[in-house]
Amino acid sequence: MVTSSRTGINLLRYVGLGLILVVMSYPLLWMFRVSIMDVAGSVAGSGWLAGGFTLGNYIDLITQAGLGRNLFNSALVGLSVTLGNIVFCFMTGYSLARFRMLSNKLLFVTVIVVLMIPAHIIIIPLYVLMMKTGLYDSYWALILPFLVNPIGIFLIKQYVETIPPSMEEAARMDGASDLRILFTIVMPLCRPALAVLAIQVFFTNWNSFLFPFILTSSDDLRTLPVALAMMQGHQAVDWPHLMAGSAIAVLPVLLVFIILQRQIVSGITAGAVKQ
Amino acid sequence: MRLSRSSSLVLSLPWLVTFILFWLFPLLYSLIMGFSDYRLLATDFNWIGWDNYRELLADDNFLSALKNTFVFVLGTIPVTTVIALALALLVSRSFRGRGLFRAGFFLPSVTSMVVIALIFTNLYQRGGYIALLARFAGLSPPEHGFLFDRATALYSIMAMDVWMSVGYYMLIFLAGLKAIPDELYEAAELNGAGWWRRFWSITLPLLRPVALFIIVINSIKSFQVFVEIFVMTKGKFDTATAVYFIYEQGLQTQFRFGYASAAAYLLFVIIAVFSILQFVLLRRRRALW
Repeated sequence: MVTSSRTGINLLRYVGLGLILVVMSYPLLWMFRVSIMDVAGSVAGSGWLAGGFTLGNYIDLITQAGLGRNLFNSALVGLSVTLGNIVFCFMTGYSLARFRMLSNKLLFVTVIVVLMIPAHIIIIPLYVLMMKTGLYDSYWALILPFLVNPIGIFLIKQYVETIPPSMEEAARMDGASDLRILFTIVMPLCRPALAVLAIQVFFTNWNSFLFPFILTSSDDLRTLPVALAMMQGHQAVDWPHLMAGSAIAVLPVLLVFIILQRQIVSGITAGAVKQ
Repeated sequence: MRLSRSSSLVLSLPWLVTFILFWLFPLLYSLIMGFSDYRLLATDFNWIGWDNYRELLADDNFLSALKNTFVFVLGTIPVTTVIALALALLVSRSFRGRGLFRAGFFLPSVTSMVVIALIFTNLYQRGGYIALLARFAGLSPPEHGFLFDRATALYSIMAMDVWMSVGYYMLIFLAGLKAIPDELYEAAELNGAGWWRRFWSITLPLLRPVALFIIVINSIKSFQVFVEIFVMTKGKFDTATAVYFIYEQGLQTQFRFGYASAAAYLLFVIIAVFSILQFVLLRRRRALW
């Protein structure tokens, strides 16, 4: 009797969890379904089997609508920003972890302050700044402000603090220069933290809408999320193409997420529990 | 260590430059702009004191944007926190297929907000799936779709936001649950405490720091809600929020940089006060659980 009620509870749990899983994954599955509908056949609320099947929407977007350019922009900006963060967050994070002096404490204060400042407050001044410096509507406007971020610095600082400094000291005895120690000894040791950082920065940038939207105006410079939001604004909504574009924006994230789930999760929970 | 002050400075230089150029300078610049009537193509700053702030507090659009922002924050945060905790409890013990459920719940939060907002615009439209669901439950959905009705638009966006973010906060709760030592539960069980008692006396009190963290970061994020409003309603049907107002005044039609900066600073103050309040209330008072 006991075991049968156990399996009953177990079954109930799976049914409950399964229902939640349906609710959580339904919208994304629906996106993929609509993305392969014939334009003509798709109307509001058409079912899963209606609307036909075609891959033409994806091809149209790349060949005619110029979404390839937006894809390129997203990749270029994302990779540049990620590379910058790997190098610069590492340098600052290392410096914060290893040197204890007054100037460093002040530096740490700047990191914490920026962590707490809501980003909305710099929208207007950043726009004006980019206008005045002539960087508005260029790749620079999308890259320069984001090359190093406080969360990343924090992440690296915490990681470096767990590495004993003895190796660096030994290398210094042997006469290695500071830069050499930094990039050939410490950096490889930080690979796990740097991987977490890279994934996080790339995704945040890839998905980001507000700043790319505000800091550019020409079609040629739009990143994928901005292009998608604009597509929806203009004519009567063409759902199959819009959802195909959305799918193009989601697919890379989805793939990386499936492959690197563990790193992504550890990046999210790293700072959370200690505080 | 032997390394000098100058080495440390060189290493921190990229951050320092970024901090000064893209954080400190904008912060001060917008503070100053907030006291001026500066706008696009204006040749000089005119100092107008507190006029912008006075105008804001009498501006119905701003006040209704603030009201919507508070509805958004106060409405979503308790719901998101409770559901996230419930999900975390459901998948915290190991069982077959747990990884699939965790990943499935978390997936929406790594997706782009623009994409999620577009999908839900489709689901919420007239004759869309959610209207179908509502009819199935015996309710009558709004005639022109959920996003085209003052009574439902903001709440529909809020529901989407909860759906999108619960998985993220579930992960943070899971990390918090993992940090609670098993011995506590074992001891409680030996003393005859049931599931509910263990949850109430061990899990909840020990999760309080994690819950506080979640509530504070979620509030700061939610006070700045913008993207979903922009994509789904463009602020129509009583959905304009504070950051949407800032965008509208500063960068869309009027280009009143001064006025928009003042609004941004007011929102900043509200967020700061709200965060401090949360810290004081949740840290000190035990009766809250």
